[in-house]
Amino acid sequence: MHTIYQFVSGPLAWIAFILFAGGCIYRVAALLHTVYQKERFIFSYMSWRHSLNSIFHWIIPFASVNSRKHPVMTVVTFVFHISLILVPIFLLSHIVLWDEAWNITWPALPDGLADVMTVLVILSCVFFLARRIVLPEVKYVTSASDYVILAIVAAPFITGFYAYHQWPGYSFVMILHILAGEIMLIAIPFSRLRHMLFSVFTRAYMGSEFGGVRHARDW
Amino acid sequence: MSKTVLVIKWAVFILIFITSSALCQYDMVEIDNSVFGDPARPPSVFEHDAHNENAGLDECNICHHVYEDGKKLEYESSEDMYCSDCHSVKSENGSPSLRKAFHMNCKGCHLEQKAGPVLCGECHRK
Ligand code: HEC
Ligand code: HEC
Ligand code: HEC
Ligand code: HEC
Ligand code: HEM
Repeated sequence: MHTIYQFVSGPLAWIAFILFAGGCIYRVAALLHTVYQKERFIFSYMSWRHSLNSIFHWIIPFASVNSRKHPVMTVVTFVFHISLILVPIFLLSHIVLWDEAWNITWPALPDGLADVMTVLVILSCVFFLARRIVLPEVKYVTSASDYVILAIVAAPFITGFYAYHQWPGYSFVMILHILAGEIMLIAIPFSRLRHMLFSVFTRAYMGSEFGGVRHARDW
Repeated sequence: MSKTVLVIKWAVFILIFITSSALCQYDMVEIDNSVFGDPARPPSVFEHDAHNENAGLDECNICHHVYEDGKKLEYESSEDMYCSDCHSVKSENGSPSLRKAFHMNCKGCHLEQKAGPVLCGECHRK
């Protein structure tokens, strides 16, 4: 038990965080490099004003036409992404571990709120899964990898929730949780989850092209 | 009710009260977390005497330590004090905060000896 715990929370955690950080930097650098090589003229019309305008309109629920067309999807995606990012960063349990390992701390979410947000993430995953199975137009463009990615995202939340409530098999699930978290971190730069990194650039580009070249809005 | 029965009842009651409070330390089954104000977790389990006997900890100052000029004193101990008397809830000038002092002390030894709980829910049992 101690050996397994020390392994998954020691060397494996190091590997996961290094691959995560290194992978993210590599991905963004590679993207900028490709654009620079192939379509350098894009930089000539990139504008902070149009970029921020576009990002802003897509990040606020119901501020873009597309989001108004699909209200249920908009609410679920919004709640899902907010919780997905905030819970792991501001969870008390995670902060306790950062404090012990690196002597750094920051304010935590109340455990009760984090617990509710965790349930919301799990329910959102169920919603996304159902959508893929039920809606023909979504089912048509769904491949096996979409299910795998959904599972990778849901796993740390399901196991974390189970562990927090100390249901039977606590220590086993706790180890599974750490592994699931590490798999998800590694998957961010190396799977389709990298849209987490790229969405900002996509919107900046679309906003600048629509705003500066076509003189139209992209939201 | 006769007077003697009443006196005996009171005597028994007071006796139980006195012995139970005198045995307080032996009865310690968890670590009081009220100094944390609004604790986020259930108090940690810790059967003081049974724990130290099982783990073979004879020296009190493994935990109840005293420092001078940043060095731990070998023959001094502080079992007459609470950990919170020296470690404040908020970390101050380099010495560990109370939460961290407990975690480093308890979890630190358990990891080192590969025995005893290391996961949150093994100590903060619901
Ligand atoms: C594994 C660590 C550890 C060891 C070893 C240890 N103690 Fe303690 N003891 C504690 C902790 C933790 C507390 C609770 C302190 C607090 O609440 O701040 C405590 C509390 C006490 C108290 C107060 C009890 C109460 O009910 O308030 C006494 C008295 C005490 N210890 C005596 C001793 C003596 C005597 C020894 C050596 C024979 C000893 N301890 C060894 C950890 C330890
Ligand atoms: C008489 C004051 C005093 C009491 C009581 C006290 N400590 Fe400490 N403790 C200190 C000082 C001083 C340091 C050294 C801080 C530094 O390194 O600058 C320290 C350091 C520590 C450290 C880090 C170094 C190490 O030994 O691993 C831990 C962990 C710790 N204390 C836990 C505890 C626990 C648990 C209790 C209660 C059982 C306790 N302390 C009671 C004064 C105290
Ligand atoms: C110097 C080493 C050491 C320190 C310090 C220590 N422990 Fe332990 N603890 C052990 C060992 C060794 C065991 C396993 C004993 C056994 O095999 O039964 C153990 C077992 C336990 C257990 C499970 C067994 C039981 O008694 O129910 C709990 C709970 C526990 N420790 C809590 C604590 C807490 C809380 C603290 C901090 C206040 C603490 N320990 C500090 C060495 C230590
Ligand atoms: C070896 C036992 C042990 C383990 C493992 C442990 N703790 Fe603790 N923890 C304690 C003790 C002892 C205290 C001091 C007061 C108390 O809660 O009894 C404490 C205090 C705390 C506090 C401050 C008091 C409060 O409830 O707000 C928090 C928060 C906390 N622990 C969270 C955690 C988390 C999260 C984990 C897992 C990452 C964890 N602990 C693992 C023993 C442990
Ligand atoms: C190195 C990786 C990780 C470690 C060591 C770790 C550790 C922990 C610990 C110790 C707990 C507390 C369990 C308890 O209270 O008993 C926890 C809970 C949790 N963790 Fe992680 N974790 C990791 C990664 C992640 C990641 C990447 C996510 C999400 C993306 C995540 C989401 C959660 C959630 C949702 C909870 C439960 C919160 C609740 O229901 O209140 N964890 N984790």
